[in-house]
Amino acid sequence: MERKHLIVITAVVVLLVGATYGYLEFNRGVAGTASMPVQEKVTAGELLADFQTDEAAANQRYVGMTEQVVQVSGTIRAMEPLGTGVTNVVLETGDDLAGIVCEFQDEEVPTDWRSGTDVSIKGICTGLLLDVVLVRCVAVENK
Amino acid sequence: MRTLAYLTLALAMLPASLSAQERFATRNGHINFFSGTPVENIEADNNKVTSVFDASTGAIEFAALIKAFEFEKALMQEHFNENYMESNTHPKANFKGKVSGFTAADAMKAGSYDVDVSGDLTIHGVTKPLTTKATFVVNADGTIKANSDFSVRPEDHGIAIPGVVRKNIAEQIKVKVDLTYARM
Repeated sequence: MERKHLIVITAVVVLLVGATYGYLEFNRGVAGTASMPVQEKVTAGELLADFQTDEAAANQRYVGMTEQVVQVSGTIRAMEPLGTGVTNVVLETGDDLAGIVCEFQDEEVPTDWRSGTDVSIKGICTGLLLDVVLVRCVAVENK
Repeated sequence: MRTLAYLTLALAMLPASLSAQERFATRNGHINFFSGTPVENIEADNNKVTSVFDASTGAIEFAALIKAFEFEKALMQEHFNENYMESNTHPKANFKGKVSGFTAADAMKAGSYDVDVSGDLTIHGVTKPLTTKATFVVNADGTIKANSDFSVRPEDHGIAIPGVVRKNIAEQIKVKVDLTYARM
């Protein structure tokens, strides 16, 4: 009788743990960039050059199979608040035709950032359109 | 500087003889897609769509990075990229087409215009024709706000959905496009 109870209790516990894990995993939110490990550190100019030289190889390195964090350092070319809750911080690349566009939530943009400020940014690299695009960006530090 | 980048894209896609006055561009366009079923709703947004529109010819083009679509739930985003869109193999979606019912003269005066859009939509490496309606609103500041809603069938673009989750994903995915163009 005791053994039967033990089996039932074990089965219920296993079921509860499994169900809880499944529920939490299903509802898991997208990870915050600040808490994710940095996979690559690169300057803005190098990042653009890598994409322009070999886009497929750069996608493999910086975009990856699963989303990964890239830390980019450079000088701010432009700050572009879009009025939709996000601000684009565009980094100089040495190429007038293309930049590194880093999408921040407005509240994540340090208030002392201006055009010409040297910065370091963590973000999820999503690839190359006209510019290299990083989303969910956060400031690392003012250099 | 950034205008120069738009110009480069425009020159690549449009006849060089056209006046830049009639070209419009954005790199912050928005695409939302929504899949609604009794089992679950799936929705994602991409705020980094690049597009160029030439009002003199009606030529329009836009491109989006698949990995720039953001979901509320991480698991949905992972499945979207890895299992369905295979975004490592097909990192971009794009549309190339033509707008009819809107002229260069319309772009010079504020107002709302119902237009037709037709062209080729490439998703997951598969190109299919797309014809839809859109609204172009010319604002007093000279910008053009373009909106369009249409539906896409995943299977039309070679996106395989396993039978076990078929009821979780709508047969027709609703797509909303919002682009605010600035004159180049």
